[in-house]
Amino acid sequence: MAPPRTHPTASPRGVFADYSPGDFYCEMFGPRGADSVRPIRDRLNRFDLPALRRRARSAERELFDLGITFTVYSGEKSIDRTLPFDVIPRVLPASDWNRIETGVIQRVAALNLFLHDIYHDQKIIKDGVIPAELVLGNHNYRAEMQGFTPARGTYVHICGTDIVRDDEGNFRVLEDNARTPSGVSYVIENRHLMMRSFPDLAEGISIADVDDYGRQLAKALADVAPEGISDPAIALMSPGVYNSAYFEHIFLAREMGVPLVEGRDLVVERDKVYMRTIRGLEPVHVIYRRIDDDFLDPAAFRPDSALGVPGLFEAYRKGNVTLANAVGTGVADDKAVYAYMPRIVQYYLAEEPILHNVPTHICREAEGLAYTLEHLDQLVTKPVGESGGYGVVIGPQASKRTLADLRRKLKADPDNFISQPLVNLSVCPTLTRTGVEPRHVDLRPFAVTGESTWVLPGGLTRVALRRGSLIVNSSQGGGSKDTWVLV
Amino acid sequence: MSNTLLARFAQNVFWLGRYIERVDNLARILDINETYARESHGAPDWGRVLEIYGDGERFRERHDEPGEHDILHFYVLDPHNPGSLTSTVSMARENARSIRHLISTEMWTQLNTFHTRVAQLTQRDIWPTNISRLCKEMKEACQTFEGIAEGTFFRGPAWHFYSMGKYIERADQTTRVLYLGCDLLEEDRDAVNTVRWNALLRSVAAYHAFRWVRPRGHRRADIINFLLHDEGFPRSVKLCVGAVEIHIENLVLRRGQPRVPAVENACTRLNFVLETGLGHRITAPVLRDFLDKLEQGLIHVSDEIASAYFRMG
Repeated sequence: MAPPRTHPTASPRGVFADYSPGDFYCEMFGPRGADSVRPIRDRLNRFDLPALRRRARSAERELFDLGITFTVYSGEKSIDRTLPFDVIPRVLPASDWNRIETGVIQRVAALNLFLHDIYHDQKIIKDGVIPAELVLGNHNYRAEMQGFTPARGTYVHICGTDIVRDDEGNFRVLEDNARTPSGVSYVIENRHLMMRSFPDLAEGISIADVDDYGRQLAKALADVAPEGISDPAIALMSPGVYNSAYFEHIFLAREMGVPLVEGRDLVVERDKVYMRTIRGLEPVHVIYRRIDDDFLDPAAFRPDSALGVPGLFEAYRKGNVTLANAVGTGVADDKAVYAYMPRIVQYYLAEEPILHNVPTHICREAEGLAYTLEHLDQLVTKPVGESGGYGVVIGPQASKRTLADLRRKLKADPDNFISQPLVNLSVCPTLTRTGVEPRHVDLRPFAVTGESTWVLPGGLTRVALRRGSLIVNSSQGGGSKDTWVLV
Repeated sequence: MSNTLLARFAQNVFWLGRYIERVDNLARILDINETYARESHGAPDWGRVLEIYGDGERFRERHDEPGEHDILHFYVLDPHNPGSLTSTVSMARENARSIRHLISTEMWTQLNTFHTRVAQLTQRDIWPTNISRLCKEMKEACQTFEGIAEGTFFRGPAWHFYSMGKYIERADQTTRVLYLGCDLLEEDRDAVNTVRWNALLRSVAAYHAFRWVRPRGHRRADIINFLLHDEGFPRSVKLCVGAVEIHIENLVLRRGQPRVPAVENACTRLNFVLETGLGHRITAPVLRDFLDKLEQGLIHVSDEIASAYFRMG
């Protein structure tokens, strides 16, 4: 008989001894589901700081050896970097997860109905729920998709919903990612890493499994194969090894057991798609493409795209191949359309949204504009046509001059702006150079939709590693954590 | 799906097999030359390594006379030499990265760690006192990879291409080691330099195997024939060519690929050269001429595999 596992003995100075979340909602110490989170917290607190650091270092090393890295190119040199991984998990009580899961499923359903509508009858525009120019004038709107219905009416097969928790502990959607959301590989690799680094932490605690993603994704993609194809050939299409998400592409191809192809491996003949194999051309029926609409097909979209496959879009329109996600989904995850999501949910599903938006003032509406102008110094104002945080003005941190400038722009072109209150993102205890401290986190659950929608329990918890920072993006000093959904 | 393999991946995995084997053999050849260099008989001739690899011209573009340090730098650290250890390991990793989803995590992790180690090599590692240790480490890293592949690589078409690449490269490398034999034949006019012939055998891990087969004999022709033809010696040209043929055959019989006569014919021709090309009187020019023919035969097989499988559709 194997000897019983030992646990770290109680330390007089546990890692949480000096921890204080301040005014923010804390994912580990907050009141929601506290009884179920406490055992994990107590176990973590049996570690002292040096022990925690030792395990963190070896985890970091392992990530590097596994090649779970993205490559940064500078001149002749290329450097492999890991996405910083924090060893203190983010724990979600069952009740919290339940709300997120049902909320995401509802939201994905609304997104799919919305996309079908705008690419067909455009009832939502005719009914005056959303302004026509917001949809039809959107640069992600694809007129080529008009009148075309993808298999099973599914447009958004893979959706990543960015969710934050405010200081009252309520979840709010910050953004829908309905094009090619990335990060799911980290969810699963983080779990594997966590279980290897801390086999003693989760022992006897029931955590939802994340290993099923590949199978669920492959199943969903098979669900949406062209009609009459019973055993579809699925492929994952990547821009290639130099893409920063290449690791994830490999990961997904492996998890699904499908070939990882690039544009040059595919060819379209008589509106059917084939891949070049050792025995010649073999058909492809479903493509999970990790490449933007613009680059898919030089014959249909950007003619200078060397990554795409000429004729792919025509094969798609003829129903001979399914693309996931569908072409033209970008119109649904746009910032301006986001503001209308609560109304979109109500319009198609006749239900109240389970997950709320961050309250958003639409400046194209008189009321929203007036409120925004009045509270400019308290709000976050965002231009809708920009991405990557460009042009965002955080009122409480902005100079008088910036605000005056913004006021002018708002009055000149109100349609181009939305505003939101500054959300105090929740925090999670995080290992830093100076000990365990609160750092802000968000959550990106991944929803997979074929015939129905399945949500991977948990999702990617991104953490802003800089003290006080609200920016969780990996390009700006963000890292990630394992996300434990308690069951 | 398990019998489908993209043409590009077949090429990548074939070259992965070749590069790993190439690193292993490069370490062996550098090590044997280091051994020769340490001997008292005459000055070490590092130019020999350049000859084996046909690198004379490329080397002289940037260096004058082949001195020990320059040669070792050229073959270990030089990023501009595509045949250096660092370049070859980088290319092995790049190939592995494009087929990362087809190989096991354990294969990838070992190669990735190996690559990290190689990227950190410095001048100090090629000091005369350290070079033998480095060669041993590199050899072992390749053998570890090979062992992990044996134990974890899914036996689908990719495995066959990996193995073909590996065995073609190994046959090529044993042939190259035998060019050293040409030099020895020339030098041996007065007396047989047993130490050097033994070192040559040792470089391909053949010394004890040869003893086993020829407990008392020490004819040079026996050594050469052993390295070329012995069916039990895992690095003999004959065994390697046979292994390539087995993998080609398995692609047809077990993975449902169509027969490709051009590939099979190239192997048959190579076998014919191997069986009949070397007479009983082995002199340096005869051996050199024969090895040239073998090299051509191997290139031919490799080319036929490429045109049959790597550019489909």
